Amino acid sequence: MDRTLESFILALRGSGVRVSVAESIDAMHVTDLIGYGDRGTLKSALSAALAKTLAEKEVFHLTFDRFFSADVPFDHAYDIEEGMGTECDEEIPLIAQMILSGNMAGLAVAMSQAALSVDVTGIQFFTQKGLFIRRLMQQMGLDELNDYIRSLRAEGDDDSARSAGLLEQGREDLTDRARNFVERQYDLYAGSTTEGMMESYLRNARLTNIEQHHYQQIRVIIRKMVKNLRDLHTRRKKGAKRGQLDFKKTMRSNIAYQGLPFDTRWKMKKIDRPKIMVLCDVSRSVSTIVRFFLLILYSLNELIEKIDTFIFCSNLVEVSSIFEKYDLEEALVRLQTGADLDIWMGRTDYGQSLRDFWEGWSGSLTNKTTIIILGDARSNFGEPEVGILKRMQERSKRLIWLNPETPSLWGSGDSEMKRYLPFCHIARECNTLNHLEKVMHALL
Amino acid sequence: MKNFHEEKFTSIETVQLEFKQAGYICSRQIATTVYLAYHLCKPILVEGPAGVGKTELAKTAALFLGVPLIRLQCYEGLDESKALYEWKYGKQLLYTQLLRDKLDQIIKGENGLDRSIQRLHQYDDIFFSMDFLEPRPLLKAIQEKRGAVLLVDEVDKSDDEFEAFLLEVLSDFQVSIPEVGTIAAVSKPFVFLTSNNTRELSEALKRRCLHLYIPFPDQKLEREIVRIKVPGISERLEAQLVAFIHEVRKLDIKKVPSISESIDWARVLMILHVDKLDVDLIHDTLNTFVKFEEDVKLIKEQLRGLAEKAMNVA
Repeated sequence: MDRTLESFILALRGSGVRVSVAESIDAMHVTDLIGYGDRGTLKSALSAALAKTLAEKEVFHLTFDRFFSADVPFDHAYDIEEGMGTECDEEIPLIAQMILSGNMAGLAVAMSQAALSVDVTGIQFFTQKGLFIRRLMQQMGLDELNDYIRSLRAEGDDDSARSAGLLEQGREDLTDRARNFVERQYDLYAGSTTEGMMESYLRNARLTNIEQHHYQQIRVIIRKMVKNLRDLHTRRKKGAKRGQLDFKKTMRSNIAYQGLPFDTRWKMKKIDRPKIMVLCDVSRSVSTIVRFFLLILYSLNELIEKIDTFIFCSNLVEVSSIFEKYDLEEALVRLQTGADLDIWMGRTDYGQSLRDFWEGWSGSLTNKTTIIILGDARSNFGEPEVGILKRMQERSKRLIWLNPETPSLWGSGDSEMKRYLPFCHIARECNTLNHLEKVMHALL
Repeated sequence: MKNFHEEKFTSIETVQLEFKQAGYICSRQIATTVYLAYHLCKPILVEGPAGVGKTELAKTAALFLGVPLIRLQCYEGLDESKALYEWKYGKQLLYTQLLRDKLDQIIKGENGLDRSIQRLHQYDDIFFSMDFLEPRPLLKAIQEKRGAVLLVDEVDKSDDEFEAFLLEVLSDFQVSIPEVGTIAAVSKPFVFLTSNNTRELSEALKRRCLHLYIPFPDQKLEREIVRIKVPGISERLEAQLVAFIHEVRKLDIKKVPSISESIDWARVLMILHVDKLDVDLIHDTLNTFVKFEEDVKLIKEQLRGLAEKAMNVA
């Protein structure tokens, strides 16, 4: 495979498009067939062979344009006076000759050759930039250049001093270009590793600590997570569907064939899709987690039969209709601001909220319902209404409490967690994406 | 496929031109992909919104090559017996009944069950031969001597299991029938798979295909398409119509009108002998390209503004 294509595929992988070996072979055939002559044709041909979804196509277009953009030309020449740099002295290093004679093309070639032998495509982390710039310069003969400048300075006459000045200026300029070059290579090739690192960091970071500008990335991670969960659990569902031979039904349907079992009937296991009621504390301390939790929950709506969502602070309201009316992300914003909702964002009162829930919706609790409560159980020393939680547990299939605080803090201060604990089937600490994923596995 | 039709695939431009003559305006992207698919012997996976001409592309390819189009419509529950082959049970049963006397004769001389069955064994292949095989689309496409265009429509509607099975057929272009043997394609069919993205297709399937995404066309391309599909349409009407449809596509509606709807509308307007749009006319013919009550209502509310924008273009 030719090197250009190889690097391009490397760059594509760097920006997150998954390219298999089989696809790179296809791409090779494509370039054989089309050639590098027509940029537009090459682009559409390679995009057919390499990018296989709409999202990937977008990334492909960006990467293609970036990759095949012309290198920044060495545009301005230094002011060189007649007679200077024309002599080709053995003692003058090649790079100094090129700077002095203003041989921009030569410098460009030298740099790309140096890049090949240094293998800049191997760059992975931004901390390596300095290293690669240094290596690139050294490959081009920085040491010789430095020595030469030093010797010129030592000579001490006007001419030498002026050349030395020119060379120093050229060196600065060259370093700048090398930096530019390495940065561009970093953008092209290092995307995936940094992304991978970022992802593992975000998965384990406390959601309350994650800054606003990472939200976009978190959404991408969540989408991945949801896809995994969905793939895993639909497969499990398929397996569970197959049952044993239903003897009675088989007999009945085969009476027509004198009882010979032509047409076999099977017992089907019922698919057990959970019905979920979520009670979310939306006071400041847990709001970020609620947001991501609901994002995952609603993205899984294929696997979950019904989700009823309630939010509470000082009192409790049902908000499922908001999710029907607005798209997911807007709904989440609305919940956080409490716009158009009959919720009072005063002091958090768990007792009142549980009372509200019991009065309004206890009727719809069945032995299929899973109740999830998301909150820190800090009730500002109000009556916790443990009795209601007990009755909720008795009526439902499962009661899961997700607490963003670590277990060592449960029960300290105004936290009523210790008192609620006996009535939860599962009580978990939940404050990172990884925790959320585990909870989802338990749910499905 | 590769053995035949070489002369039709000399360059991307020829493909584009020939398709145009067959009544399908394709962008350079489409032509390039078709050209590549032929030379690399790869299936094309076509994605895009409904009604942008995914199925039409396959039909035109068949027309262009002069080979039959074999279509396999996918749906949930589609299995091998519907897609690949099935035995003609009825025919088998009928023949055994009709040939009863003959069978009796064959067994007559033998005494004992063992010997009779052995005698029958010499003939049992008769009932499991190609004569009693009902070829379904995939097998049909493989059997075509001069190649065929195989259109696997809406592959995303099929089950995962079928998709895996399809992979096997698409990679080798051969089918094993236990009773008959392996049937390999004489000439590999030209395969188009279409998908509306109702679910994510497996990586393995995507890897084996060239991927083509057909978006809604820009105004220029769409005008060209309308012109070729609805001959005799006046230039002004064509420009206004396409401009109006493009305005509608910008709205937030349930079902965005696609190219096929623009063509339908143009045909309706031709029948009504119209040569330019006006607000009342749009109002009356709206239901040819908007298919939901809510959408109709929404567009009617903004009709005047939309129409004005569209008229100004022409």
